[in-house]
Amino acid sequence: MSDEPAPASETEAEAGVVADAIGIWAPRGNEVRVVAGTAVVLALFPFVFSRMPVVSELLQGYQSLATLILIWGIFALGFDLLLGYTGLLSFGHAAFWGSAAYAAGIFSQNVSGSPILMVIAGTAFAVLLAWVLGFLSLRRGGIYFAILTLAFAQMMFYMSSSPLAFLTGGENGFTGVETAELFGIFALETDLPSVLGVLLGTWLYLFVAVITLLCVALAYRILNSPYGMVFRAIRENEQRAEFVGLNVWRYRLMSFILSGLFAGIAGSLFVIHGTYVPLASLYWTTSGEVVIMTVLGGTGSLFGPVVGAGVYLYVENIVSGGHPFDFIAPFWHLILGLVFVVVIWVFPRGIWGFFRDVRDFVTGGEE
Amino acid sequence: MSFHIEAITVLLNGLQQGAIYILLAVGLSIILGTLKFVNFAHGALYLIGTYAGLLLALEINLTSGQLQEWGISTLGLGLGYIPALIIVPFVVFVVGLAMERWVVEPFKDRPDTDQILVTFGLAIILQELFRVFFGSSSLPFSQPAWAQGPPQIPFLAAIPISSWRYYVIGITAVLVLIVYLLVEFTDFGLIVRAGTRDPEMVELLGIRLSRPYIVVFGIGAALAGVAGVVGGPLNPVNPTIGNEILVPAFLTVVIGGVGSIAGAVLGGILFGLTQAILVATYSAWAQVGLYAIAALVLLVRPQGLLGEAEVAP
Repeated sequence: MSDEPAPASETEAEAGVVADAIGIWAPRGNEVRVVAGTAVVLALFPFVFSRMPVVSELLQGYQSLATLILIWGIFALGFDLLLGYTGLLSFGHAAFWGSAAYAAGIFSQNVSGSPILMVIAGTAFAVLLAWVLGFLSLRRGGIYFAILTLAFAQMMFYMSSSPLAFLTGGENGFTGVETAELFGIFALETDLPSVLGVLLGTWLYLFVAVITLLCVALAYRILNSPYGMVFRAIRENEQRAEFVGLNVWRYRLMSFILSGLFAGIAGSLFVIHGTYVPLASLYWTTSGEVVIMTVLGGTGSLFGPVVGAGVYLYVENIVSGGHPFDFIAPFWHLILGLVFVVVIWVFPRGIWGFFRDVRDFVTGGEE
Repeated sequence: MSFHIEAITVLLNGLQQGAIYILLAVGLSIILGTLKFVNFAHGALYLIGTYAGLLLALEINLTSGQLQEWGISTLGLGLGYIPALIIVPFVVFVVGLAMERWVVEPFKDRPDTDQILVTFGLAIILQELFRVFFGSSSLPFSQPAWAQGPPQIPFLAAIPISSWRYYVIGITAVLVLIVYLLVEFTDFGLIVRAGTRDPEMVELLGIRLSRPYIVVFGIGAALAGVAGVVGGPLNPVNPTIGNEILVPAFLTVVIGGVGSIAGAVLGGILFGLTQAILVATYSAWAQVGLYAIAALVLLVRPQGLLGEAEVAP
């Protein structure tokens, strides 16, 4: 590239002006395709899952589960940023999910019930917490990281279970959530007007879907930026990244905070969706659930974890109720555990990786 | 109750709670130190120990779970507590050997995260197996009749602590001492310690490390099994106990220093006492206190109280 401005045709100059005006917000590379594709899937998903004549009867899906899948999908997406791309296994992400839920809930009770402000409040709290816990947990690498994140998250759990019970409601969970209307007009639980109502269902789903779309765009942008490249470099070879002159510790901390951000967004949405924060949302089995979702769906891919979240929640909510086979109901968690171990053992790239391999096999090669 | 009796009660309760942590932490620590393997299924071994102990020692009435639905309402051999205490370690030892052979071995060359994930998955499977067959409600595992009251020894009789707790402390002390002597003063221990330092060199000298390693894993598992039997009657017995005890056990290892038996003992005692003292004073903070201490130790001494400064991560 030379410093001299190259002679450009009129249309190119115009495009340049537009790009300048929207600056860093302009889409790059494949972003338009990815985001548009995601938008189409998000728009069709609740209809196919819970209202389409034949398919939805086969699936036995329902609207609120569709919303829940997106929320956990955001959580798993952020988790994969850490596990799949930076190569750090945290067993403490319940801390961010749960504390964001509590923060958003308490915020709604005391300050404002606006869903957007609730998400911002919850997420801000989760990010600050991720900063502190990340700073502490990253003092020791490798296996200790998993243990330390686990320990600090458990500390949060016990904090809210008794010393902070006056705020959090202790064992009973937080029940005082007061969500207001979106923009002061639209009640979240009401159906959207006309066609949108059939397609998307409720305002809540639209709200969650828009945020999901933003999260996908953000994650895609991060992962395909030089910054995201550094995460992958650290996963592949920490020492080499260090030798190149990168501050590995700082990038790891930032990756941890970013995944805390996604967990915070998801946790805040979770409280808006459920209007209740169970104490168990801070317990380490919640961290375990997001680990399972991510690994099941496929680490190191953008959409794998979202698919994993869908599969996990489907099994947890539909299969456990005796669909499609009655006798399977009490074994649902056992089956998930078995599938999880099999995936780690023989198929570390998860469901998404499996489908990619199938695609490559059919089309005869890499893209 | 006078103050000094109360203080001794708290102290003994703390030591007993610490003893359970120590049994689990010593096993975890020697496995982590020698095999460099993070075992998230260690809590599940405790779970197996508890249920095996319960079924060997007593006959129980099942109130939920698949076994009950299939028409089995009473289960258990009712052999009593002493046979259970003797048989269970062997059972869990064998489970440990199997785990080493079929889970740890295949994952030796995989990344740390995969090892954690697979043992985590295994822990879920074991927990769910117990839940499916025995139900998720708590089963009655009472302390044996001969160990319920305070021991009939002049001084101790005045302290309101069941003799079972003394047995727990005693059994732990003996077992940990045995493991310590085994590691420090036998040929087996020498090979294990050498293998911890430099496995390549040991193998070059013509010593096969796989056999001592599998035994180390078995011993660690057996200790967890014992912890399950002695700890079972002190708490409600349900399928989640394994996952609940795993986190404090891990913390004990980390603050004591990985690979150090003395560190695990120190960490366990520290945790047990802290917990007991807080329960007696500011009970709301009892659990948080553990984690606060752990955080403090890690900030000041990242390698743990008695751990050696690490060379490689």
